[in-house]
Amino acid sequence: MSETLTALANGFGVALAPLNLLWGFIGVTLGTAVGVLPGVGPALTVAMLLPITVKLDPTGALIMFAGIYYGAMYGGSTTTILLNTPGESASIATALEGNKMAKRGRAGPALATSAIGSFVAGTIATILLTLLAPVVVEVALKFGPTEYFALMVFAFVTVAAVLGSSTVRGLTMLFLGLLLGLVGIDDQTGQMRFAFGVPELMDGIDVVVLAVGLFAVGEALYVAAYQSRQEEKLEHMSGSLWMSREDWRRSWPAWLRATAIGFPFGTIPAGGAEIPTFLSYALEKKLSKHPEEFGNGAIEGVAGPEAANNASSAGVLVPLLTLGIPTSATAAILLAAFQNYGIQPGPLLFQTQGALVWGLIASMYVGNILLLILNLPLIGLWVKVLKIPRPLLYAGILVFATLGAYSLHQSVIDLLTLYVFGLLGFMMRRWGFPVAPAVIGLILGPLAESQFRRALAISEGDPTVFLSSPISVTILAITAALLVVPLILRLVRRPKVESSA
Amino acid sequence: MAPSVKRSELIISLGVLALGIFATVVAFRLPEGGGYARIGPNFMPKVVAGGLVVLGLWLLGEVFTGGWRASEPDDAVERGEHPFVASAFLWVTAGLFAQMVLIQYAGFVLAGTVMFACVARGFGSTRIVRDLVIGFVLGLLVFLFFVKFLNVGLPAGWLEPILGTAGT
Repeated sequence: MSETLTALANGFGVALAPLNLLWGFIGVTLGTAVGVLPGVGPALTVAMLLPITVKLDPTGALIMFAGIYYGAMYGGSTTTILLNTPGESASIATALEGNKMAKRGRAGPALATSAIGSFVAGTIATILLTLLAPVVVEVALKFGPTEYFALMVFAFVTVAAVLGSSTVRGLTMLFLGLLLGLVGIDDQTGQMRFAFGVPELMDGIDVVVLAVGLFAVGEALYVAAYQSRQEEKLEHMSGSLWMSREDWRRSWPAWLRATAIGFPFGTIPAGGAEIPTFLSYALEKKLSKHPEEFGNGAIEGVAGPEAANNASSAGVLVPLLTLGIPTSATAAILLAAFQNYGIQPGPLLFQTQGALVWGLIASMYVGNILLLILNLPLIGLWVKVLKIPRPLLYAGILVFATLGAYSLHQSVIDLLTLYVFGLLGFMMRRWGFPVAPAVIGLILGPLAESQFRRALAISEGDPTVFLSSPISVTILAITAALLVVPLILRLVRRPKVESSA
Repeated sequence: MAPSVKRSELIISLGVLALGIFATVVAFRLPEGGGYARIGPNFMPKVVAGGLVVLGLWLLGEVFTGGWRASEPDDAVERGEHPFVASAFLWVTAGLFAQMVLIQYAGFVLAGTVMFACVARGFGSTRIVRDLVIGFVLGLLVFLFFVKFLNVGLPAGWLEPILGTAGT
């Protein structure tokens, strides 16, 4: 405990160094500004801004990234409330009440409760992260390759098969991501795989190109083709920004309850913020003394989901930092940012790079405060950003998207790959294939493969090694149950469905 | 009523299956070379390729048993959107390809300007001059910020006499 406090104090020393403070400030500002743009979710924001940090030192770059991560989350909720176009599934619950509040001229309190709620939830969740991370690290230090492999398989299955509307389409995207992850040199034997002699493929497929292609180019093609000839309705910012006494009284219990829901969901590999935001929404609706307001702009319906969203995004950092396992598309891109600096998150990171990790965690406390100071006064500016006409907005997004892809290797091939992934993203959006499993498969696949082969190398090829550790057996059994039970249920129910059709 | 087969779902399912088969063929041509682990660089490719084959068949199975489960309506209006506008799609595509062709000769700023105007056109803008000007200014600002402030190399191209030989 006291060790943690010492480490955290040292972390604040790093995070509050003037230059790092500046990077953190730039991070939250850029993250919010880009995250506010309609159609740009946190994953895309982080991916597009990744090239900005290439010339920074690792600590500065990662502090900037923490800021971008939180800023993007915050910016997204502003868009949701004023525009009713949730940039990501985690914002849908906010949109339900937030946009209704804005329509009734209560955009100010809606934005305020989401900003203050994000701050409260983000700060509490960061405290929990601080306390929990060293504990998980203790456990994780005892993990061998078999346990890691089992955990990664668990993450794959929950993200691809359990979440989302269709198991088969989720798994298809996961395996596509895994296949893309195999492209390039096998780092254990030097064998070239799926590169077909193309030099650009030998380095492997970059997660930035995949994520930006799927999210930005795919989205631009889709919106151009199916939505660009429609009118958008932007709610005006009218009335007071400030929350009334009544608003406060109704908001703060929702913030706290939502934090209690959001953080645990973030820490287990259950695909980030989508489930906890809906759970929080349902809980607030049930507990509210004004259930009749739900559907017409109840402030608890904004306060809860927004806080849950932020708490779970801090929770996601627990498996990312302590185990090196990303459980959301955004976390996968953050992991790629670490890897760009040759840093592999995991329990050892807390020992070898203590200053960096604790600097990063401390910068999250700072980032949350910066966001609160920055955003309440700047809401007017973000509203102006929302007024950018859609043709200019998407043209601008693509300038940044292509910039990010091109600056990786100064290669036109990367731009071509970006467009191919854009086409793929268009098709995925049109036919309901989820993006996150592909991104997570690409980044986590190679790590899972190396743990798998390491485990077998230790056991000299004996595959029962995965069943020899109680931890890995338990995790694999839960994973199998998650995958198989719904299928059996569906097979049992199928005759009824067909007879009714 | 016989289950109707949607052509788009059929094609995509076959595409996934074909990708799986192709990956399987490639995977089986990779060398063994297992070492202590007894499995080599060809093991995971076989697993992944086999998985894609299974998933392709699974998707195909859904196509012939009433269509993909929990899918979006095919009619754009039912999804709250307008019907597919081919010209919009093609303008965005043209913009991205124009940039690919131009970036090495004309440089980042000019290639980005052309792309910006094409994409804006795709989204229904008719003010070409405005779009070109905004695209140019944005490209220039981004170029200066990245090259001068962040030290990231970007091609100056035809503007090299003005912007100097920054980056590559």
